[in-house]
Amino acid sequence: MIFRQIWFLLKTAVDNLWSFRSRNFISVLIISFSFLVIGIFLSLSNNLLYMGQQLSNNLAISFFLEPGIKTADLENIKSEILASGLVEQITFVSSEDALSRFRSNFPELKEILDNLQSNPFPPSFEVRLKNNLQNLPATLYFMERIRRLKGVIDVQFNQEWVEKMESLSRIVRAVGFFLGSILILASFFIISNVVRLNVFARKNEIEILRLVGATNTFIRIPFLVEGFVLGLLGSLVSLLILALLIKIFPIYIGSTLGAARELFTLKPLTMKQSLWLVVGGIFTGILGSGSSVSRFLRI
Amino acid sequence: MIEFHHVWKQYQKPHWALSDVSLEIRRGEFCFITGPSGSGKTTLLKLIFRELFPTEGQILIDGVNTLKIPEHRIYKLRRKMGIVFQDFRLLFHRTVIENVALPLRILGLADKEIRRRVFNALRQVNLHHKMWDFPQRLSYGEQQRVAIARAIVHQPTIILADEPTGNLDPELAFEIMSIFKEINQQGATVVIGSHDRELIRHFGDKIYFLQKGKLIGKEERR
Repeated sequence: MIFRQIWFLLKTAVDNLWSFRSRNFISVLIISFSFLVIGIFLSLSNNLLYMGQQLSNNLAISFFLEPGIKTADLENIKSEILASGLVEQITFVSSEDALSRFRSNFPELKEILDNLQSNPFPPSFEVRLKNNLQNLPATLYFMERIRRLKGVIDVQFNQEWVEKMESLSRIVRAVGFFLGSILILASFFIISNVVRLNVFARKNEIEILRLVGATNTFIRIPFLVEGFVLGLLGSLVSLLILALLIKIFPIYIGSTLGAARELFTLKPLTMKQSLWLVVGGIFTGILGSGSSVSRFLRI
Repeated sequence: MIEFHHVWKQYQKPHWALSDVSLEIRRGEFCFITGPSGSGKTTLLKLIFRELFPTEGQILIDGVNTLKIPEHRIYKLRRKMGIVFQDFRLLFHRTVIENVALPLRILGLADKEIRRRVFNALRQVNLHHKMWDFPQRLSYGEQQRVAIARAIVHQPTIILADEPTGNLDPELAFEIMSIFKEINQQGATVVIGSHDRELIRHFGDKIYFLQKGKLIGKEERR
């Protein structure tokens, strides 16, 4: 009997979705546009994050070493650097390597270099840090510790630039959190009201079902299924439109934005973000539907 | 079977829709509640199936105080009843057969049994040839008969009907009332709110007279 009823309720939900298809179509569109706004926002913040990562990839420290440093000291410095846990990559640049790099970077100074009696470039360790702008104090502490080691003569690191990046990333995160929260709240409000209007238009049906002896669960289930489907379709449509926008947008803006173009590029959503968007759609659809039906189930 | 004990109902102060109504309808009776428009007939019927709560007083159905039934259990009371509403309350996006089958779907009966019972109910109201139509394609009288079929299909012990013959020509009204009488003869208790004196005179076993919410008289013919 239970299976028969479940089958009937699912069939009812599908019938209702079809019977009220024009109204449901509009609901799906409204839901998808609400989610599209969130999607575009996520996509833009993905881009900002990507840019931040690109910039922090360039975060490097050079530890200059004494010319003719002993192998034991060299190994000690290297192991201390690696032990910090902040390092993504470490490269040893010998005096010869540094000289040849200078030669290739500045070929116009070849003559000056040829006249030199000895190699003026000290050997060094070039250290690329992990993408972790939040860790500035730890980075500074790490630098200071290495600087004091035997064999290290100098450290090169653009602290001012890092501090600027850090404050920029903090602002981006704060603004993102603020705007994102408002957008999610607004979308939730719009979607649950769309679903609510849908249910409200069918309050007569709910009343009839109650009066012919249907249990609250019996009345609720088809509406929840419909809410689920509307939310799911709405969020999937929004992802589809977003994917199209990501394809079309770069063509549309072309080169008009010049250097700022990078800033307004839409980056595709990650799998996790897309999944969250779909889960959000389903959740909002079910919640909007369920809460509206409950209002009519009270006498 | 249906007992009202000093029932009062007020929608808005200072007017009383029902004032101190006490009555008893026994099992198997064919009872009319009559009176002019606004006398409280619809209110009284709605109190029976607990679409409304009384302001004061007690209502017993089969010895159970309906006011004490929790909201999530009210379906049990309503499954005992078949209700024909003044405005029919049909689902217009469902066919006649789907509308009539609704109380049976709720009970979770098998498809075969549902088809058999729905067909019998529609044959009883002489509408079995229109079972695949949508209600908006039916005439007013036909819609009324769909509502009656839905009310009797699950063989309830109580049938409540609010002005079931309002706006019908006398011939059709007589036909519909005969259907109720037939159901009553099969054992159901029938309570009808109506102000059609001719029908009441012809069909009523017990008649309660309401005026301005007060019970002003009772007539028994059995």
